[in-house]
Amino acid sequence: MVGSPDPARADPAALRAAAEAAAAGLPALLLAAERLASVVDAGAHGLRRAGTGDEFWQYRAAQPGDAASAIDWRRSARTDAAFVREREKQSPQAAALWVAATPGMDWSGDPARPSKQARGMLLALALGLVLLRGGERVAVAGRPARGGRAQAEALGRDLIAAAGALPDAGALRPGQRLVLVGDFLDDPAPLAALARQAAALGVGGALLQVLDPAEETFPFAGAIRFRAAGGAAADHLTRDAGALRAAYLARLADRRVLLAQMADAAGLRFGTHDTAAPPAQALMWLYQALAE
Amino acid sequence: MRATGTGARMLMLGPLGFAAPWLLGALAALPLLWWLLRALPPAPREVVFPGTALMAGLTDPSALARRTPWWLMALRMLALAAAIAALAGPVWRPDPRPAGTGPLLVVVDAGWAAAPGWPRAQDRALAAIEQATGAGRPVAVWLADGQGGRGTVRFGAAPEAAARMRAAVPQAWGTRYPDGSALADAPASFDTLWLSDGLDHPGRAAWLAALAGRGAVTVVPPARPVRALALTGDEPPALVLHQAGAAGADLPAVLAVGPDPQGVQRQLARLVPPAPETLASGAIAATVPLDLPPELRNRITRFAIEGEASAGAVVLADDRVRRRKVALVGDARATEGQALLSPLHYLRQALAGRADVVEGGLADVLQAAPDVVILADAQADTDAEPLTRWVAAGGMLIRFAGPRMAASEDLDGDPLLPVRLRPGGRDAGGALAWGAPRPLAPFDAQGPFAGLAVPGDVTVRAQLLPEPDPDLGGRTVAQLTDGTPLVTRAPVAQGWVVLFHTSANADWSNLPLSGLFVQMLDRLIQSARAPQAAQPALAAEAPHWTAQTVLDGFGRPAAPEGLAPVAAEDFAAGPAPGAPAGVYAAGERRAALNAGGALVPALAAADWPGATLSSAARAPGLALGGWLLALAAAALALDALGSGWLAGGRPARRTGVRA
Repeated sequence: MVGSPDPARADPAALRAAAEAAAAGLPALLLAAERLASVVDAGAHGLRRAGTGDEFWQYRAAQPGDAASAIDWRRSARTDAAFVREREKQSPQAAALWVAATPGMDWSGDPARPSKQARGMLLALALGLVLLRGGERVAVAGRPARGGRAQAEALGRDLIAAAGALPDAGALRPGQRLVLVGDFLDDPAPLAALARQAAALGVGGALLQVLDPAEETFPFAGAIRFRAAGGAAADHLTRDAGALRAAYLARLADRRVLLAQMADAAGLRFGTHDTAAPPAQALMWLYQALAE
Repeated sequence: MRATGTGARMLMLGPLGFAAPWLLGALAALPLLWWLLRALPPAPREVVFPGTALMAGLTDPSALARRTPWWLMALRMLALAAAIAALAGPVWRPDPRPAGTGPLLVVVDAGWAAAPGWPRAQDRALAAIEQATGAGRPVAVWLADGQGGRGTVRFGAAPEAAARMRAAVPQAWGTRYPDGSALADAPASFDTLWLSDGLDHPGRAAWLAALAGRGAVTVVPPARPVRALALTGDEPPALVLHQAGAAGADLPAVLAVGPDPQGVQRQLARLVPPAPETLASGAIAATVPLDLPPELRNRITRFAIEGEASAGAVVLADDRVRRRKVALVGDARATEGQALLSPLHYLRQALAGRADVVEGGLADVLQAAPDVVILADAQADTDAEPLTRWVAAGGMLIRFAGPRMAASEDLDGDPLLPVRLRPGGRDAGGALAWGAPRPLAPFDAQGPFAGLAVPGDVTVRAQLLPEPDPDLGGRTVAQLTDGTPLVTRAPVAQGWVVLFHTSANADWSNLPLSGLFVQMLDRLIQSARAPQAAQPALAAEAPHWTAQTVLDGFGRPAAPEGLAPVAAEDFAAGPAPGAPAGVYAAGERRAALNAGGALVPALAAADWPGATLSSAARAPGLALGGWLLALAAAALALDALGSGWLAGGRPARRTGVRA
């Protein structure tokens, strides 16, 4: 299990209830992700040589040492020689997806908009579907990456079940692609550590900051006590919220610059997305960020 | 804002009085409010915001926003204080109170003319009583409503006087002053506060002289001129709107009130008076003609001056106001072309201008639902059935004899005759007759023609004679000097059948040529359908009048309670104690007694020799409430402007600092 331990996980019954509640949203999430994924048409990318893969590559004469089961008997029956069916070698990549599951992510400034977490999961799952269709192996970070259509459901389930802002650093594998979705408004130090480790392991990928428009524009005025989501101790009292807007926006810009530098240093791509924008845009960006 | 509160004592701060001084206690809350506003800023809104993590350490750029500037607070406090002070009813130099140290007599005119300003007069009297109580002066109240049994003026404890003053109501008759003997038990010297209704009632000068002889008299005239409404006796009747004093030359309208077709009392018409004329007495008057459709006019039960609540502003409508619909039915063929010989001609002349006349065949005129049907020497014939039904339902049928009736075969069987007639008739004074034409006997004092003068030159030459009958004497309402009946009548169910035993033209009698003919028809027609109402001037023939509905001093109808029947001569004298304005009945007759009439104002100082005319009534102190409220509104507007300036000014300064 990854991420910080959730109190609910200590109790098997509670865990089961939480999992069932989460799984109830899975079909809808899958359906939305399928629809979204259809905007990206990825093909499998073969390596033009025989190897392990799904696609037919060539027939060659059987040689001693080939297993009998490897001989394609239908092709061999046309001639006297025995043939072996070879497939094109594919080198599927493994991608690890992670959507931050902090209380702050489960927030929306407007009931008409989805929460940041819902949007992040939709993007992650849609990306996973696109990659699976392209023959890659995909999993939530910390789980074994597998290919095939059957992985889609496991992927969705794991996305819903995941908890914590960041995956364990131990879950990273060399050569993996890492996709991190989150708001990254909290302390940036753990993220920086993870990014450094990813760089050390040669893990490429993308960092997508999903924010609510309210967080990007700060539409507040008057006397307000701001509280962090999830009952966290952090709160901020102001008598004139409107006057704080510029300072807040400056801090947000600073944070984005910091994140971009961090990502650059680690060889990751950094992008932003707000929940009022169509998700297809962000999906295209993610796909291209992984494709390069 | 009123100059005085309802009986509350007025707090005086120098020349400034407060009608509701306890409201000033709210001013004590101001410092508390100031402290609260400064110490406890409004609670902030709670907002869940993930971006809070980014805000750690941010401080509000401007300290001004934490606290309202002192001058804005002062502005708000000023607005609040002004509003509180305004509601406390401040008056600059309110009514001066009668000074003095001796006993105080409060004389209150309590006739109908005092009703419009009654609460004000009551307040004024109560304030004077309270003040006198505070000064330890004995107080007496004299209500000049003329009600007997008051005895003499007695000075006593103030609570008694105040209670009597609170319980006093204006009466539905004119103010009556006592004579000087009422002061027999009073001390030799006392001061008087006289709340006048502004009219020169009989005995006012003598009463004033008696009071002025005992001490200072302060007279408070009414705030506005008295108005009254009266009905003229002319034909057609008209209303006269009187106003004492020419102040405010705009006379109000007169409302005519009565049941609508559903029977609900409502305003039926609104009569706007023409330009008024000034009378010699100093009052002004305007005559409002009653030019209304008869259907509307007959439904009116009362006229009232708009916006004037007094018994004198109400005229109860009686039959003088009603206009009757009279149907004339005769045989036009009988005297075709000879207009002056037609019986209908004389009837037409007699009724012109006094009633709405319908002519035609009997079947046609009954459709018009007349009040009276006059058959001039004509038979009902085929229409006897509907005519009988109409009479039984309350109609009045007046028949005139004539040659055709005299020649009729079945005179005996005609049901629509009050008496059985002898065929043929009698001719007196003709060329072939022995006797001379007979003059009329004086009318019976109980009958419908009571009080009408009989001219000596009216004679009857021919008449139809009734068969002797025990009922004949009771059915005769007018007779000749020889005792033969001239007019008989008999009730038929709810209606009447009246027979003139002579003709309606000048053939048989010169009665149709006389004014008496017109008067007799008037009396008969007025008694038709509705309960009879006699002219008050002619009411002397009824011994007693009993009140049916009376008005109170404010002109509101009330049930008569504890009122003895009024003797006829008292009734003729107009409303008086024991006979308030209202509708009275005597037997089957009803008459309205109305309070209003011509007014003699007594407004000028010259009308009050030896008395101080209180100027307070005309300038009852300057009420400052409105000004203070305006000040509060202006302060709040300034506050809004200041707040807007603060809100608009701060961001500009902050960006300047950042740049």
